[in-house]
Amino acid sequence: MHDIIQQLEEKRGQARLGGGTKRIGAQHAKGKLTARERIELLLDPGSFEEWDMFVEHRCTDFGMADNKTPGDGVVTGYGTINGRMVFIFSQDFTVFGGALSEAHAEKICKVMDHAMKVGAPVIGLNDSGGARIQEGVASLGGYADVFQRNVMASGVVPQISMIMGPCAGGAVYSPAMTDFIFMVKDTSYMFVTGPEVVKTVTHEEITAEELGGAVTHNTKSGVADLAFENDVEALLMLRRFFNYLPLNNREKPPLRHTEDPAERLDLSLDTLVPNNPNKPYDMKELIVKIADDGDFFELQPDYAKNILIGFVRMEGQTVGIVANQPLVLAGCLDIKSSSKAARFVRFCDAFNIPIITLVDVPGFMPGTAQEYGGIIKHGAKLLYAFAECTVPKVTLITRKAYGGAYDVMSSKHLRGDVNFAWPSAEIAVMGPKGAVEIIFREEKNDPAKLAGREAEYKAKFANPFVAGSRGFIDDVIQPHETRKRICRSLAMLKRKKLENPWRKHGNIPL
Amino acid sequence: MFKKILIANRGEIACRVIKTARKMGIATVAVYSDADLDARHVELADEAVCIGPAPSKESYLRIDKILAACKQTGAEAVHPGYGFLSENSEFCAQLEAAGIVFIGPRPHAMQAMGDKIASKKLAMAAKVSTIPGYTDVIKNADEAVRIAAGIGYPVMIKASAGGGGKGLRVAFSDKETHEGFQSCTNEARNSFGDDRVFIEKYIEEPRHIEIQVLGDSHGNVVYLGERECSLQRRHQKVIEEAPSPFLDAKTRKAMGEQAVALAKAVQYQSAGTVEFVVGGKDKNFYFLEMNTRLQVEHPVTEYITGLDLVEQMLRVAAGEKLSFTQDDIQLNGWAMECRINAEDPLRNFLPSIGRLIKYQPPEETSGHVRVDTGVYEGGEISMYYDPMIAKLIVHGASREQAIARMRDALNQFVIRGVSSNIAFQAALMQNPRFISGNFNTGLIAEEYPQGFDSADLAHDDPTMLIAVGAAIHRRYLERNATIDGQLPGHEYRPGNDFVVLLDDVQHPVVAVPVAGGVDVTYAGDTYQVRSPWQFGQSLYQGTLNGEPICMQVERVGLKYRLFHWGTQADLLVLTAHAAALQALMPHKVPPDLSRFLLSPMPGLLTDIAVAPGQEVKAGEKLAVIEAMKMENVLKADHDCVVAKLLAKPGESLAVDQAIIEFR
Repeated sequence: MHDIIQQLEEKRGQARLGGGTKRIGAQHAKGKLTARERIELLLDPGSFEEWDMFVEHRCTDFGMADNKTPGDGVVTGYGTINGRMVFIFSQDFTVFGGALSEAHAEKICKVMDHAMKVGAPVIGLNDSGGARIQEGVASLGGYADVFQRNVMASGVVPQISMIMGPCAGGAVYSPAMTDFIFMVKDTSYMFVTGPEVVKTVTHEEITAEELGGAVTHNTKSGVADLAFENDVEALLMLRRFFNYLPLNNREKPPLRHTEDPAERLDLSLDTLVPNNPNKPYDMKELIVKIADDGDFFELQPDYAKNILIGFVRMEGQTVGIVANQPLVLAGCLDIKSSSKAARFVRFCDAFNIPIITLVDVPGFMPGTAQEYGGIIKHGAKLLYAFAECTVPKVTLITRKAYGGAYDVMSSKHLRGDVNFAWPSAEIAVMGPKGAVEIIFREEKNDPAKLAGREAEYKAKFANPFVAGSRGFIDDVIQPHETRKRICRSLAMLKRKKLENPWRKHGNIPL
Repeated sequence: MFKKILIANRGEIACRVIKTARKMGIATVAVYSDADLDARHVELADEAVCIGPAPSKESYLRIDKILAACKQTGAEAVHPGYGFLSENSEFCAQLEAAGIVFIGPRPHAMQAMGDKIASKKLAMAAKVSTIPGYTDVIKNADEAVRIAAGIGYPVMIKASAGGGGKGLRVAFSDKETHEGFQSCTNEARNSFGDDRVFIEKYIEEPRHIEIQVLGDSHGNVVYLGERECSLQRRHQKVIEEAPSPFLDAKTRKAMGEQAVALAKAVQYQSAGTVEFVVGGKDKNFYFLEMNTRLQVEHPVTEYITGLDLVEQMLRVAAGEKLSFTQDDIQLNGWAMECRINAEDPLRNFLPSIGRLIKYQPPEETSGHVRVDTGVYEGGEISMYYDPMIAKLIVHGASREQAIARMRDALNQFVIRGVSSNIAFQAALMQNPRFISGNFNTGLIAEEYPQGFDSADLAHDDPTMLIAVGAAIHRRYLERNATIDGQLPGHEYRPGNDFVVLLDDVQHPVVAVPVAGGVDVTYAGDTYQVRSPWQFGQSLYQGTLNGEPICMQVERVGLKYRLFHWGTQADLLVLTAHAAALQALMPHKVPPDLSRFLLSPMPGLLTDIAVAPGQEVKAGEKLAVIEAMKMENVLKADHDCVVAKLLAKPGESLAVDQAIIEFR
């Protein structure tokens, strides 16, 4: 018996070494941690339960029969993050460069199936050279098996991808279907075709980092949600992020104790909106000042900066924030910002996370670039997302809410539950200047008269009270009491129940 | 006494005057420009009148508008504060003509003293010692060079109507005199509408010490001790104290008596200040100028004399006699003032404008800490006015105690949204030369030639940072443990063993939560950290081993950024295992920005002095940015060749925007 136990320990020891000390050294030299080191950092100490440590590939071609490493390039299992369950797979670059074999894919599928059964999120730590070419179509089949599970899990359990090395070709589509993609700067990249192929086909000379590095996907493509400096920061911040998420779509978002009083007033908010309507201000200040403890976990901070998305807590409960950012492009809606916000709204809706929408939007961005790019379709995504959304929705208009953009931004008409406005709100079809130029077209050549009309229009419509008189706005509130009023609204909405009619699925304008 | 007065000023001084007026039961009228609609002085005053657009030329410097505001509100008297119209005898005369009392000296005294050339002649006549120099108006740059050479370098070129460091240049050569004369004349014309300048001998290693005088309309004049104002940066006072650590009783008396003699020579009434330059070695003192107004730094005199100078000014203006004589005046303890400016020490102290996202001055304690402030949280620091937003004044029985109180108070001063010089002030408070009292007006230029970066300042006792950082981290972990939805029986339990990373050095600690705080064991010693601090608060106040402690804390990603005694430190607190893995992480070098000239502040690019391909020597002018009404000349740090111009004159620049690329 003793020998058998000894044997097990030896086998485990061998598996834990992955591709061996030399390759571990090479991994470290690149500034990357090993698959197991990453899991140790991410999960509560000692909580990891590893499965399939002894799985090996079944390939016999190209001399692979003699080249086997237990675990086959991916470490899988489950554990806890702050006591909350999570399933995990972590690709091991030291074993066949983390290449995905049929067996490797099966391991991933196994944890995903379990996660679905017990209702726990799945986190993937991606570090893989791609398909196990020696296995050919078996490897491709493996990818597709994972893709199918990604789709089935979508909206059932949260799925998070942390890209910590290469992720190229078909491999990118698994992360692409998860809810959030995080990347590590300088050591991770994602692209459908690499720099060599790009050079042959389009004659563009580009580095892997420029083509698909963390900065590229966090600023240009919007594929990724956050970029981190290194593995340690990435994994410890992921622990923080995980605290915001419910475990599955049947659960409420988690509550965490807070001592920040719901009644906390902030007088400085009374001067947040400048007297000059064309002067920008930082909407982030409002978010930070109304959130519990001033914590705002922003997502996609460097992409489509004219809209802000991310998580805060109100009275301890996770809430999603969607906010126009007047500092960038006057906070207008365009293709990128609409898509960015729409996907976030749908995530919140799928996982019972209430949404606070902060509105200061002068309208949609005009221009051929936008129209040719399909702003009609992309803008419609956000409209669709807010309209189908059944979680508690609290909306606050701080300043401008003009035209169609007013409707889109979680307005009363899209089943906004509580719609507030600050006294500085201007809810109208368009800005006063544009409006009078149309209504009083015949006075076009009389600037004095037009100025008078503008003042008249401004007095009449550039305020929240017209909308208030229709009930489109539930109340006009003092800026300094914003936190209190939103907290109360969310408390009132805690047991909100609203269901959309049965259907196979809606047809969001993709 | 007056029933209602108008304050022809803004900012902290307007607020300060309102405070005394209120105490005396006098109603107050504020005036404000469009930019100050929401300003604190407008809020505090009983009434407020808008006097025009944001630029002070169109508002706070408009005599007619202020007169109209007086008439409109029925104000019987006007307190001018400092700056703006406070030393404008025309303003004074027009008020008198309109039957409104000017709370300050009479026009003739102001006129005599306001002109630096005339005042010097007067001083000589009153047997006040003066600096050798040329007191007549100089016509052009060539004449200036001749005169300067005659006096002997170095010389100082000053605007006759100047003050507060504006319109002042020091020249060490003919070339510099030539340039200095031009720029001085220009600045004087723009700032004061008077382009006359004069030249005098520049005294090296000088101390700037001034005497506060107070006179009434009955011919009584007293002096209220001195103020040491030698801590200056580019001739702008930074820290003032009273008394001076340099003067002895004999010199104090001699200076005081000369100051009184001068004041009497012009029948001076109200509060005024006679500035002297005192030789650092021989204690010889020379008259510089008389400021015929309330000084920024008057609170230090108030602290050591127990007098309210604004109250005295009001009484004198109302015709009352001084209620005390020179013999009644006792100087008590030590007072110190730090000017809190919205400026960025990292960017060579350029003005910083924007919204005060956070503004929490230290708590005022009677007799110990006083804060004269003109702003509030959520207020706006605009580009139109002075960057000084508050004054922090402390009093102690001794100089040591005053310094200790100032250090504590600076720790508590929270400003976010705009940069401030708080950390710099804290650094000065622990500068050995400053502490010794043996310094002169060159201290800041000599000790901080490259500006000041609080990240470069070493903390006296990093153990304090480690203990507080570990305690804060332990609290965060404790909070994580309260999250619901945990696996029953497998809940998260934070450990107590950590490694604090400070400047890439690992410090192993044990942090154990106890009632009211955390006990942190480090290097064999246990530190009891106790604080009612709540998550999200900027101020971490409490005790460390029973001693009061106050730090400012910000959570930046995984790091805790602590601010204490002028230092700034980023701490990473990890488990031992995580720290071992962190050690494997590559060291990333920040991108090289030295190839670019970056705009140090938001402002208007008025001039680019170089062209692509041009070779530039260190110190040569590259570009000029106008911000806060000041011309800021950007010079080359080192020899370089211009590659590309990235911005055009007339363009509005954001902070850190690239202007020039070098090869």
